[in-house]
Amino acid sequence: SLPAGSWVPSVTPQDILYRGILRRKPGRPAGDSCTSQPLPVLPTQLSHFFVDHPEDAFGSLGKLLHQNFYLGDSKLRVSVHSGLPPCSGCPRKNLVPRLRWFSHLARDWLFEVPLGLLADCVHEDLLLQWASLLFDDSPTGGALAWLPPKDVGARTGRLVYPGGQAMNHLCILPHGVALRRGGGGREGVPWVAGTSWDTAVSRVALCPLPDFVGVRSDYHCGVWRVPGRTGAAPTPLQVIRTSVPASCLTVSPHLPGELAVCTQSGAVYLWSVETGLQRLRHDPQTMFFRDHSPWRWSDFTAHPRVLSCADRTGLQCLDTRVSPGGCHFDLFKVGEEAGCQQGERVVLPMYLGRAYPSQHLVTTQFSVYVLDERLPLVPVLKWAHMMKAPPLFAHLTPGGPGRSHKVLLGASRTQELLLLQYRGEKRGALGVLWGRVSSVPTSQPPCCRDRLPPPPLGLGSEEEEEEEEQTFYLSNLEVIIDEEEEDGGTPVVPEEAECPQEPSANPQPSPAAALRYRRWLKAFSKVCGQPPRHTRPPTFGQKRLFTRKELEEPSAPSALQGQARRWLRQAMRDGGCLQRWDPPPSALPEPPEPAEDPDPLSARLTASWCGDWDGWWEGRMSSSLAQRQRALRERRRRQKRARGRRSLSASFTSSLTYQSELSELSDPDTAPPPRREASPPLGTSPPAAATPPSPEEALLSSQSLRSRGIPKERRKTLRDYLAVWADGPPEPPELPGSQASQLCIPSSQSQLSSASQPRRKRPRMGF
Amino acid sequence: AQANEGLHTQLLKKHTQNKPAEKLLFFSFCSFMCLSYIQDAMLRKQWKRAAEFLTFYIESLEKDFSTEYMGAEILCHRFHNNMKEFSSFIEQMKTLGVKRYLKVSVCLEHAFHLLCNGQIDEAYQNLSLAESWRFGEQTAIQDKEMKLIQAYRGLLDYYSWSKQKNILLEHDLSVEQEMHGCFRKAAMNLKEIIKIPGVWDLFVKCYVDLLEFYGDYSEAREVLNEYAYNSKFPANPNAHVYLYQFLKRHGESKKSLLSALKILHDIVPSHELMIDFHIMLQKSKKRKKRRLGLEVIFAVLDYAGWKENVKAWSCLARQVKQIVISEKHLDWIKQEWDPRRDWWPAFHFSRYSAKRNWQENESLSYEKALVAGILLGKDSKYFKYVSHRGCKAQVKRFRILKKFLNKHNPVYLRLSGLSDSSVQP
Repeated sequence: SLPAGSWVPSVTPQDILYRGILRRKPGRPAGDSCTSQPLPVLPTQLSHFFVDHPEDAFGSLGKLLHQNFYLGDSKLRVSVHSGLPPCSGCPRKNLVPRLRWFSHLARDWLFEVPLGLLADCVHEDLLLQWASLLFDDSPTGGALAWLPPKDVGARTGRLVYPGGQAMNHLCILPHGVALRRGGGGREGVPWVAGTSWDTAVSRVALCPLPDFVGVRSDYHCGVWRVPGRTGAAPTPLQVIRTSVPASCLTVSPHLPGELAVCTQSGAVYLWSVETGLQRLRHDPQTMFFRDHSPWRWSDFTAHPRVLSCADRTGLQCLDTRVSPGGCHFDLFKVGEEAGCQQGERVVLPMYLGRAYPSQHLVTTQFSVYVLDERLPLVPVLKWAHMMKAPPLFAHLTPGGPGRSHKVLLGASRTQELLLLQYRGEKRGALGVLWGRVSSVPTSQPPCCRDRLPPPPLGLGSEEEEEEEEQTFYLSNLEVIIDEEEEDGGTPVVPEEAECPQEPSANPQPSPAAALRYRRWLKAFSKVCGQPPRHTRPPTFGQKRLFTRKELEEPSAPSALQGQARRWLRQAMRDGGCLQRWDPPPSALPEPPEPAEDPDPLSARLTASWCGDWDGWWEGRMSSSLAQRQRALRERRRRQKRARGRRSLSASFTSSLTYQSELSELSDPDTAPPPRREASPPLGTSPPAAATPPSPEEALLSSQSLRSRGIPKERRKTLRDYLAVWADGPPEPPELPGSQASQLCIPSSQSQLSSASQPRRKRPRMGF
Repeated sequence: AQANEGLHTQLLKKHTQNKPAEKLLFFSFCSFMCLSYIQDAMLRKQWKRAAEFLTFYIESLEKDFSTEYMGAEILCHRFHNNMKEFSSFIEQMKTLGVKRYLKVSVCLEHAFHLLCNGQIDEAYQNLSLAESWRFGEQTAIQDKEMKLIQAYRGLLDYYSWSKQKNILLEHDLSVEQEMHGCFRKAAMNLKEIIKIPGVWDLFVKCYVDLLEFYGDYSEAREVLNEYAYNSKFPANPNAHVYLYQFLKRHGESKKSLLSALKILHDIVPSHELMIDFHIMLQKSKKRKKRRLGLEVIFAVLDYAGWKENVKAWSCLARQVKQIVISEKHLDWIKQEWDPRRDWWPAFHFSRYSAKRNWQENESLSYEKALVAGILLGKDSKYFKYVSHRGCKAQVKRFRILKKFLNKHNPVYLRLSGLSDSSVQP
């Protein structure tokens, strides 16, 4: 039994890896994670296993043997009747002290399982855990769903989500009711009888209109009917048990009481509440090429009798009216045709029927594809989503006529959210589809990223037809992103994230505080004459996230809200953003201690702050010129000394490093923004011009090139090449000196140019 | 984060300058960081910063990693109004992209950007410039990309051709020469790309338009036939649509129109043209064709997109009514209805949809009620609800409908295969 409100701790990299660092290759495909070998420390893991589970490691052999051993203590005699019951149920129950002693004594030499075998098992398990650590596909699809109100305009929508300590309860939250988490507050109904761990809900799918809710855990799938009345309890219709973990459950948007179920063995079923299961396909192999992932997915299409069926390699459409494996066509194939990258795999397909009846969304680790059933295999639209983790959750909010549809993508572990706008207009025949996908400013609220350790389980969204406002729910029920308010600058999300919501982080008040509180409560109740209702030490109210007042909608939008709305619309029209992504004010650095001898930069900043920037510039000009000349002279002297023992290529690179050092030196001068550049009197020569012939020019002069033995026909190439570097960057053109240093010359090129020089004993540099 | 960023950029710069083999890992880490900075900057719409990082990143690039897209996006936003700066940036991108064969796509993006800004001539110039580039060995991919560039140039030629056509049509004959030049260039380029298997709807349409204007119908027909029927091309419903439209424009025989639509029906049973197909089949005197018409309209209504289409429902209602009145071919309806018997009632004729259809569209509910009454009998939920409402609202046609169904109730019994009326649906 777990303490109230706590989470099952998930595996962290530190548990598996020696150094605790999760190394992930940037372009690693999602399904391919097993091949990247973790570096588990097997001895450590094994010793953990021995310590944590001594009974499993040594138990039964000890049970057989311990009676026949004389352990040297007269009190411990072999008793004939103590034949231990077979090892079942709770192992600790039968653990006799004597046996424990025995295993303590014998564990060094008497193993239940041969060590090699045990190590193999542990290693295998570690690999599995490692794979799920890199990419866990069990929550695909999400476990949070929004039931819209039946009558248009009524505010009676509800949120369906898994609850309870083991996440095996189905909770329904009516609109406008404050939310509690864990054991407190509103308890859900256990959705499958019995409380075993494998009933933890990993997916809640629903069909909006007839209010059918599908619930999936690893080995169970269930259909519930949620009555339209608020407060009415959901009623279970059917539950099925699978022998292989189910990986998918979707509810038909067309026919009430129809669902699609996939298992990891590669079976796809159409599940009708009335007629039962119909197996459409059973194929442990993947469809288009071999992939080890057992993940399967199925969704509905525009035709209610045709189901789409997906694995990591692509999508196919199956007709349920014909015999299994009879009629199907390929909808999407990972490969050349769709312009996929190497290692790209399907992560989540979704039917976009509520936006366009024949379109599907397919997400991979890298991109989002929109497909049309009528022209399969050629994506209508491809867009790189650039999320760090593959998007496991997707939610479509259809826009009305003339408005764009919004697709919200969410990732599980990295807790990213991405809101896309999507519009397709039909033209002519099948529709030359004009796709536009752009990210709306609402995306990762940065403060939430750090503060939500448990990965979210799903996404849901509330739809408001009339107002331009959407509330998105993230399933660990902490974040409600209100597009409008966030854009309008009202700090809703930061506020929510501010309160200590993570019970494992701060589950209890300190004992001293609790004691003081109890004392105060006793005194208080004495005064009031009422006994306190409960004497348990109270916990923080972190389960109650939003008060009723917070969730209540304002009766009429206030003037401020109206203004914010106007701003938002304006910004969306212009494609700009309302709120800048400046770092939070707390992140601002402390003002530095005033130093006695300020460096040139701070001197300049101070001067410009005081308004005396021009004066500073004048002074700087004269002093810095002298300074630089001095430095140059000294450097040249040093170089002369070093030149004797340098090889050719080294000397060539030294010219490069010299160049960058030079520009570092001149940096304080070039740093002022180009806008102000014009204001200082340019009659005094600008800093770059004051230097002796720029090294780059010297480098390019044909004399120096010839002196380095570069053939004539190559000189032009080299010069052109370097000229590209000098002209290219979008920097103010007055600063040739600093440009050369801000660019970086690819190593291969510099090697090439140095390699093209013949070896000469005494190279002459340009200066 | 800012400080980190600076640090990483510095490191990246350093390592792009001299990259020792043992530090490759560190280098790739840096470039990964750089990529994430670009993405971050893009997400926050800091286009300038993103552009700076992108320049660093491309240098360190090992392989093409969605750079095209990022490049394009940054370009569009960063240089929203400053075209000169934009051009210099794009030149730099192109120079850098030589090794990665990005040149073509960058160039196309550039052209699109110019087109978006209305600079058609510049875009044209840009494309012709790109055509002249040669780098490395001419691989097959490069060849295809070159064809694509040529095709887009042909499209621009077509654009100027159609502009001149409009001038010509205003009886200004001076442009004819120039127009013909445009035609030749456009036709040449478009013809090339159409030969490669692919989805070239835009190019095909333009090419056919060109050919049609100069009266080269046989060539146009050949192009469309090839586009529609060549098995190397992906099964593209649009190809058949274009063929059908072409045939219709030139007053082809009904038979060829029907055969074009029949193929479209086989590929996409839910296409918009299926209503036309159904109406054409209905007008036919042949029994077989009318039978096909019923099949077509039933298939159309299988799809969720047609669920509330009045036109489709009225087509079905009319044909079903005709069959019922004539009492011939009731087996057609039965054959179509049998596979749908288990799901159409829940899909189309539920009480919920009756309520909604009645509220939203009265004539839709009328047509659907007629079909429901015939297929499911007058005790079906849908018909009962709608006719009740209709009679209550004193709408005449609903009363007539009720009478009609009372008269033809035995039809339902025959359809459902029941001989006595004791069983309800």
